[in-house]
Amino acid sequence: MAESPARTAFAEEALTHLDTLYRGALRLTRDPDQAQDLVQEAYLRALRYQHSYQPGTNMKAWLFAIMRNLFWDRFKGSRKEDVSLDDVGEFVLYEKLRDEGAKPEADVLDKLAASEVVAAVEKLPPLHREVVLLVDVEGFSYKDAAQTLGVPIGTVMSRLHRARQQLQRSLYDYAVESGIVRASGTHQVPQQ
Amino acid sequence: MNCNDCIEHLDSYVDRELNNTEMLELKLHLETCPPCADQYDFQVHLKRLVKVCCDKDEVPPAFREKLRQILL
Repeated sequence: MAESPARTAFAEEALTHLDTLYRGALRLTRDPDQAQDLVQEAYLRALRYQHSYQPGTNMKAWLFAIMRNLFWDRFKGSRKEDVSLDDVGEFVLYEKLRDEGAKPEADVLDKLAASEVVAAVEKLPPLHREVVLLVDVEGFSYKDAAQTLGVPIGTVMSRLHRARQQLQRSLYDYAVESGIVRASGTHQVPQQ
Repeated sequence: MNCNDCIEHLDSYVDRELNNTEMLELKLHLETCPPCADQYDFQVHLKRLVKVCCDKDEVPPAFREKLRQILL
């Protein structure tokens, strides 16, 4: 059946955001097959609810919101299953590395394997992972991220901060395990 | 602005989410405080690293084509 020109134009525009959606789905599901299923379902739902999209608004954010809602509905079953980050206190990788005499960027960050950085992101609980995906990977503003996730901007900021703390901790642990830096005492750094 | 204020707002500064006055205040502090400036550089480097590493995955061409067939 031939599709209407309006629907085709809408689908064409929506498909320009496929890379963003696929990368997001891959990070959320951590499985290429599930990511493809999720993205396909998100696009079909987007077309079904095309009338609810307001032209001129952020289509990428709108599509991402559809996809992440599907993710929570389909792959997690219930939001209650999400695991929050333990309150591990402030962990400042930069200060930790400086205390150990390393040059944080040159000696450590530049030596991390890309796969380990991705693994550290994927290890974050989904509620925190999706904020990192939106703000750090896709460049969303806090406002757009808040709208996409259906939470206040303050929640975006606090989740992002905790996610970055956890990310630094994971990368530090990897750096120690792989011998990039030498382990030392406690991982905790007092809050400033 | 002191170092505690600077660190407290560093996430928002790195993400360019402060208003113009706040951005300027933090920028001036960073220009005169090497320890905070180093931490800022590190945060920027880390944010860029996360983006670069997570940006590598490409949509499989067969999946892209399949979607086009379904949607268009």
